[in-house]
Amino acid sequence: MSHDTATTSVLSGSLEPETDAALHKKIGWGFWIAVSWVIVITLLAILAPYIHLRDPRGYFVELNGSGRPPYGPSFKHWFGTDKDARDVFSRTLYGARISLIVGFSAISFGFLVGGTLGIIAGYFRGWLDKIISFTFIILLSFPSLVLAIMLTALLNRSLFTISMILGILSIAPVGRLARASTLQFSDREFILAARQIGASDSRIIFRELLPNVVIPMSALALLGMAVAIVAEGGLAYLGLSVSQGITWGSLIQIGSDSATTLENAPWIAFFPILLLFLTVLSLNFAGDRLRSHLDVKESSL
Amino acid sequence: MKFWMQRVAMAILLLLSVSALTFGAMNVLGDPLFNILGPLAGDVNNPKSAALIKEVKAKYDLDKPLPVRYVKWLGDFATGDMGVQFSTDGQPPVSGLIKERVPRTMTLLVMAQLLAVMISIPWAAITAARAGKRSDKISTMNSFFLLAMPNFALAILLKYIFSLKLGWFPLTYNAMDPYFERLRQIFLPAVTIALPAAAVYQRLLRTDLITTLQQDFILMARAKGLSRSRVIFRHAIRPSMFSFITVVGLNTGALIGGSIVVETVFRIPGLGSTLVESVLREDFPVVLAIVMLIASAFVIINVLVDILYSIIDPRVRR
Amino acid sequence: MNDSESMTPALLLEVSDLKTYFRTERGTVKAVDGVSFSLLRGQSLGIVGESGSGKTVLSRSIMGLLGRSNLIREGSIKFNGQELMGLSVKEMRSIWGQEMSMIFQDPMTSLNPVMKIGRQIAEPLMLHLGMNKSEARLTAEKLLTDVRIPEPQRRLNQYPHELSGGMRQRVMIAIALACGPTLLFADEPTTALDVTVQAEILQLINEQRVDRHMSLILVTHNIGVVAGNTDVIAVMYGGKIVEKAPTKTLFSSYKMPYTEALMRSIPKLRQVSHTRLATIPGRPPDMVNPPLGCNFAPRCAYARPKCLVEEPELTATENPEHVYACFYPVGSPEYHERKLELSQRVDSLSTKGPI
Repeated sequence: MSHDTATTSVLSGSLEPETDAALHKKIGWGFWIAVSWVIVITLLAILAPYIHLRDPRGYFVELNGSGRPPYGPSFKHWFGTDKDARDVFSRTLYGARISLIVGFSAISFGFLVGGTLGIIAGYFRGWLDKIISFTFIILLSFPSLVLAIMLTALLNRSLFTISMILGILSIAPVGRLARASTLQFSDREFILAARQIGASDSRIIFRELLPNVVIPMSALALLGMAVAIVAEGGLAYLGLSVSQGITWGSLIQIGSDSATTLENAPWIAFFPILLLFLTVLSLNFAGDRLRSHLDVKESSL
Repeated sequence: MKFWMQRVAMAILLLLSVSALTFGAMNVLGDPLFNILGPLAGDVNNPKSAALIKEVKAKYDLDKPLPVRYVKWLGDFATGDMGVQFSTDGQPPVSGLIKERVPRTMTLLVMAQLLAVMISIPWAAITAARAGKRSDKISTMNSFFLLAMPNFALAILLKYIFSLKLGWFPLTYNAMDPYFERLRQIFLPAVTIALPAAAVYQRLLRTDLITTLQQDFILMARAKGLSRSRVIFRHAIRPSMFSFITVVGLNTGALIGGSIVVETVFRIPGLGSTLVESVLREDFPVVLAIVMLIASAFVIINVLVDILYSIIDPRVRR
Repeated sequence: MNDSESMTPALLLEVSDLKTYFRTERGTVKAVDGVSFSLLRGQSLGIVGESGSGKTVLSRSIMGLLGRSNLIREGSIKFNGQELMGLSVKEMRSIWGQEMSMIFQDPMTSLNPVMKIGRQIAEPLMLHLGMNKSEARLTAEKLLTDVRIPEPQRRLNQYPHELSGGMRQRVMIAIALACGPTLLFADEPTTALDVTVQAEILQLINEQRVDRHMSLILVTHNIGVVAGNTDVIAVMYGGKIVEKAPTKTLFSSYKMPYTEALMRSIPKLRQVSHTRLATIPGRPPDMVNPPLGCNFAPRCAYARPKCLVEEPELTATENPEHVYACFYPVGSPEYHERKLELSQRVDSLSTKGPI
């Protein structure tokens, strides 16, 4: 009855004929394009001070009769200038620094704390699991942006605290997933075998569980980084991110603060929006692809 | 019955924890005395200031231990007394401000949620019926783009296109305008919140619909001679709605987050924009009240979603 | 019913050279490969075959219920003189439920779990017969009485999960009968049910068929099910009809070795308990690359070299209504010769064994 599955799926009016094909699909060129964009923007952000950009805090007022700033995009100012005649291109690249640092440290912190808590909860179970899981539930009881805003109100807004705050937000989602997959793994033979030969708990956690739980979650790290970048952008837009810093959110805020600025000089807001959008899109896309790729590997084992 | 009791007990426990956490954070990480008195709060050596400090401490119970203050505050909060606004002249009560702002945010959220549901259901139905075809693939790509657009950026984009360039919608919100005029002013902000939410709902509902459409009872419905749309809307949608409803409920948190940003972009004096303003003005009683209110609403909504779930699925109801 | 009609019953369905292929990644699956038969009004036909023989696809293909992507469907289906092949789904919808309806295999999954029974029955009534809500409700109640469901009024307001499997199958029959179809398909209607209710359901279907003067196509893998319930039996194998005869004729003088194998798989009352039921060795053919000769040859005990290279045509016996596709049918000299060989081999095996 080798053809039976094929027939039944057609019989029931199968609506997803390409499911099988999708399963065998390679990770695809789209993934690599997305990853390339993330690498390029990261390199540009890191190298921003060394590639002879215009001073992001400099004022480039033209005195030759081109009128009052903001100036539109030109050969001199690729992305134009804002209404204080500051160069939008160099500010956007500098803005990537804070956005990416915050995004990266936030999700790293989330993985470190959330991942550890999740694995501990899933491995030891019992009352420890109950306490940790309840903590996750409490954290998830706040809409994340509300919790972030509350914390920014109470702490000084430095690069470090903003990263920590966004990191705290990612603890619960990461932790829950880590707990779930730890529960799944700790019943598998290799863990049971390790226990039987008398391996210590910490050895099992670090040598056996950590790689098996965390690697499949790497896709989540990309998605989580995108979420953190968006959240930082939102906070910055509201004026609640790193104080005095140039970030994509604050640049967008400057460009859209008044209706006249937005109407007459849309480039001030739109170029940072474009870069933010492309970065988030790439992270989402790469994460999504990676996730289905890892899933397939998992299921084909 | 036992299931519901458990849910409600959990909700109460969560409300207590959330309030304790919020209150604790505000009072431990923040300094209420400083918020009230400003720099004067540190001036303990000056006898005049010291007397003032003592007076304020007594007035706001700051001289009592934290747990006692928490219980008192919780009692006050539950009875509608949310303290006073420090940053406003004459220190009017917070509750008045809240009462004024809540309906606006509620209107915005309800409108956004309705729009999201109204967009996502037909969208999911069409794409599920054409799953794997080109229109479906284009739609998947579109929702991918939509979800990668941060809500404040989407708000600015929509504002630019529909208010500034096309002039279809008013630029500003005016609390003095008549009700229907204000609904029109809120429409574009609601769309901003609704679009990404609709994309999330559509993705989910589409997947569940595809699963449902392969069920035997769908073939049975087709064999009755029902039209395609009747098969989808009468037979397939409802059994596919279970996770949809859960997610619509849980997504309220994301919508509230979205409303904070969108209210700020479109300058709607709602709960969210007030929260941001109060944070910037360090008016902590307002921040505390709004955070508590939103978190409680969120917890309660989650319980309601659970209960609604059991109502809609007759198999769970027994 | 007047006399002239009963004397020369009208032709209801005429299927000629129906082919139904599915394009899959593995290749084209020839699920139904050139099937022809005709059915008179009021007549009942049993289609029997193993799973994978194409019998379910055949019934759905006739009714036009298959999804259209990756489907190849050729041949002719004349229903009441109207050619169905080439009709759009929209045109078919006026036939579905009203002229043709189907009872599906699994009553557990074929009723909508979140819709009340009453509405599921009323739906086609309101759609096809233009009844209003209260008329449809009354008719639905009457239908439930017809299919012998106790307390019909209460059942109308119940959900499928509140009913037993047998009850649900009765509800499905009620839905299928609702608009008074002239042709009823029943696809393994009893397979998912307890043995005790199987006979009741079959009896009910048959009674309703006679009462309503419907034609019936009963699809099953169990030749025992069709034995007392159909006028004609068609045996299907590898997407083709390999033998067709009036029920009595088939049981008394089947020709195909495959039919013989199916017959042997029916449990018989007279057999000593614990007798092993004969099973057919091997698997149904691969429908992407069917065998060159007779589809059954690779599994047939009586196959000869010719069977592996040449495909037998359907030929009639002395009774023109009895057709079969086999070079060496049951009763032929070659058949007896092989049978003798086989029994000798079995004997030699048993005498060699230690006593």
